Amino acid sequence: MHFRLVSKVLSLLSATVSLSMVWPLFWALRDGTGDAHAFVVSMVFGLTFSGLLFVPGWREPYKDLGVKDGYIVVGLTWLIASTIGALPYYLHGCTSSFAGAFFEAASGFTTTGATVLADIEACPRGILFWRSLTHWLGGMGIIVFTLALLPFLGVRGMELYRAEVPGPVAEKVTPRIHQTALYLWGIYTMLTLSESVFLMFGGMNFFEAVTHSFGTIATGGFSPLNKSIGQYGSLYFETVITLFMFLSGANFALHYRFLRGDARAFARDEEFRTYVWIVLASVGVITVDLLLRGNYGSLWQALRHSGFQVVSVMTTTGYITADFEYWPALSQWILLLLMVVGGCAGSTGGGVKVLRFLLLSRHSRAEFKRILHPRMILHVRVGGKIVDDAVVGSVATFFVLYMTIFAAGVLTLTALGLDVLSALSGAAATLGNVGPALGVLGPMDNFGVVSEGALWVFSALMLLGRLELYTLLLLLVPGTWRK
Amino acid sequence: MNARLISKVMAVLTGIVSAAMIWPLLWALHDGTADAQAFVISMVLGLTLSGLLLFAGRNADFKKVRIQDAFVVVSLSWVVASVIGALPYYLHGMVPTYTDAFYEAMSGFTTTGGSVLVDIEVHPRGLLFWRALTHWIGGMGIIVLSLAILPFIGVGGIHLYKAEVPGFAVEKLTPRLHRTALRLWGVYILLTAAQVVLLHLGGMSLFESLAHSFSTIATGGLSPLNRSIAHYNSAYFDWVITFFMFISGINFVLHYRFLLGNFGIHGRDEECRVYSGIVLFSIVTTAVVLLRSGVYSTVSDALRYGAFQVVSVITSTGFFTADYEQWPAYTHFLFILLMFLGGSTGSTAGGLKALRVLALARLVRAETVSSLHPRGVFPVRVRGRIATSEARASITTFFVLYMAIFALGAAVLAALGLDFITAVSGSASALGNTGPGFGAIGPTDNFSAIPMAAKWVLCLLMLMGRLELYTVLLIARPSVWKG
Repeated sequence: MHFRLVSKVLSLLSATVSLSMVWPLFWALRDGTGDAHAFVVSMVFGLTFSGLLFVPGWREPYKDLGVKDGYIVVGLTWLIASTIGALPYYLHGCTSSFAGAFFEAASGFTTTGATVLADIEACPRGILFWRSLTHWLGGMGIIVFTLALLPFLGVRGMELYRAEVPGPVAEKVTPRIHQTALYLWGIYTMLTLSESVFLMFGGMNFFEAVTHSFGTIATGGFSPLNKSIGQYGSLYFETVITLFMFLSGANFALHYRFLRGDARAFARDEEFRTYVWIVLASVGVITVDLLLRGNYGSLWQALRHSGFQVVSVMTTTGYITADFEYWPALSQWILLLLMVVGGCAGSTGGGVKVLRFLLLSRHSRAEFKRILHPRMILHVRVGGKIVDDAVVGSVATFFVLYMTIFAAGVLTLTALGLDVLSALSGAAATLGNVGPALGVLGPMDNFGVVSEGALWVFSALMLLGRLELYTLLLLLVPGTWRK
Repeated sequence: MNARLISKVMAVLTGIVSAAMIWPLLWALHDGTADAQAFVISMVLGLTLSGLLLFAGRNADFKKVRIQDAFVVVSLSWVVASVIGALPYYLHGMVPTYTDAFYEAMSGFTTTGGSVLVDIEVHPRGLLFWRALTHWIGGMGIIVLSLAILPFIGVGGIHLYKAEVPGFAVEKLTPRLHRTALRLWGVYILLTAAQVVLLHLGGMSLFESLAHSFSTIATGGLSPLNRSIAHYNSAYFDWVITFFMFISGINFVLHYRFLLGNFGIHGRDEECRVYSGIVLFSIVTTAVVLLRSGVYSTVSDALRYGAFQVVSVITSTGFFTADYEQWPAYTHFLFILLMFLGGSTGSTAGGLKALRVLALARLVRAETVSSLHPRGVFPVRVRGRIATSEARASITTFFVLYMAIFALGAAVLAALGLDFITAVSGSASALGNTGPGFGAIGPTDNFSAIPMAAKWVLCLLMLMGRLELYTVLLIARPSVWKG
């Protein structure tokens, strides 16, 4: 590990996070609320920390950044960001413990959207804006954001990019990493702006439109309202948000191609088609289940609520319009499975990702053929292209590791006193960066009820899920830290 | 497809199952109970069917056994055995419908141990003996299946222990089947006899000693008593049965070699060490949780009940000495996990099996290291042999399929009206051939109130779990049935 260089890059990244607090600070100053103080102190603290990190390596050239350094930088960045991001909550006192503040910040950056706040609307707007802004920063990635801002980091940016971007293969839309980052953030910002405009057009005020758009496009789920989107009871808002959640769950490289004039970019992509089918099938089954069990009287009502909840859970956003805590077992089970599936690779969604499941199912099919015809040469194809065996192998191991961490998480949570349903769904919802779960952690509940130990476990699961396990796990492997 | 061959094998199997009814018939005659009639009719029916199949399969050519035929034979074996085995239950009127009878028989032959009987002790001893005997016969079938037939077919990463079976590496299926069967059945019978003697010495009646030993060595779980082993409340019986359940979860080839004088074989075997490690970890943590939550006040009680339940679940037996639904949540989730893990390959236990768990862990480790050294090659060794890329693919696919079938099973059960915990634990329990689960199918409950369609789903899950998934899934492919 290049200690000096890593320290310098970390310094730039933590400065980015600290400086972004200037936006909630504006809201706080404008409203004249007490949280302004918390933001100023947090910024000073964050920038001092960043300054200290800058000193050891200020003369190091960026091109020396290696593979291991990439993992270390990205892993530590997310830990540091969550710590600095937690300061305003803690200093202002809207969470009672630092564990709670860290949970809230990690939940924000990882775009999980699980909260420890019992009464959200009681918090000042500066704090609420910060929650949503952490979503927005984390959604496309803190690193990708910084890469877009600071072109000189692009020299070895691929090492960083690969460690942060979700999906089995880090796809670059352009050969230059700086440009890729710029384009991705451009699309990201454009989607956010258009959703805000749509929401304001429907009569939502500026503050709520922006925060909800941040939460949607980042597939986060924090809302400044206690009852999330359900509070409005407006079909228009639900439709707009469903649409934008759905778009954010798709690969951003497809958005890029589509905007560059490739009209069939979405239709041609196998992962996107699978994604659409999973959404449609889940909405269909849940609608029927809700009607059969009498949860809703009319087909229209059942469809409206199942549509919103399915898209929200599958894209791992976590907005809610209905309390699925009271839905029948089949609907709950499907939602739980969708939490594990997650969005598409290269999207802002969490979970295992549709592409991985697509590869796994192709892989299984090939295995069947191999048993019946042992001498046959078989390839796994997606979109007509042969997928390298090594990629397929690593996808399979990823799934195994995902389930292992999930199981270990649930076991630890039950050991800390949670019941099985809450622990099981809570672990799935945090590891998949969804947010709301079942049991005591249902859509209308909050994570403030669990013990501090459990909060740390949930925080760890959120970070593991967002960084797709390996980036964070490698920090625990001694080999990573060796020169 | 070689229909004559299949027909002939089924004829032999039907003959064996029907002939085996002579033992429960003897009990019935001895007691002078009415079930004697049911057994006689079942035997006549079974033997007639056997004769017809024998006629259909005359001149069968055993030299041309294709893999496809092996799949069909294996899958049909358990189905046909259950069809015949269900007759006595149905004819005697022990259960209200044939579905229930079939479920009870399938649960017996797959050594699952879930029962539809509300009050077990009111039924005549002949029928209760038959339940235990179906376990024992099923267990014998499994040993041959997993050590002689599956390696021949090469599914689910079985490649890894092909050579473990002494001296069979290059032989054809039929001679291997014959010799492996005789050697391992010897061990099987010896273990059963030893347990019968030990239980009888402790004061258990001969009938109950036999029934419980059949159930233990086959890791089944059906007991002639309503309260299973809890009925006795005897530390001696608990520990004897714990020991034999534990032994039955280990590869029988190891026992065979042990009896030949290779006394260190268990300690040297990687799979056995992993299995023992998991058992030890589970017992210790369970005992600690039981003590801390105050369920048991003494260490010896916590160990005795904890060990019994842990071993009963991991070996997929399903006996109980305590109502573990009243235990803390940690044990609940631990038990669900153990249902997934299961015992060792080459034993009568179900689940994923320790060998696969070990191989998966090694694969994940290799993948983690390789992300630090992208150009490195990291072989995965299990039992000192390097896993080929086919073995790797085979093992991961097995895991993916196992999880997929579990998820689908739970969804279908939930759709049929089971509640969340019952559906999820029922699917895991049936697929792992454990027996009891949680919720409406806890240790003190039974499967009688489960809807009819759900019983068929459970039967299918038991069958797939028992036959290592592929066997059953492959016969759904049309190409298997083509001539």
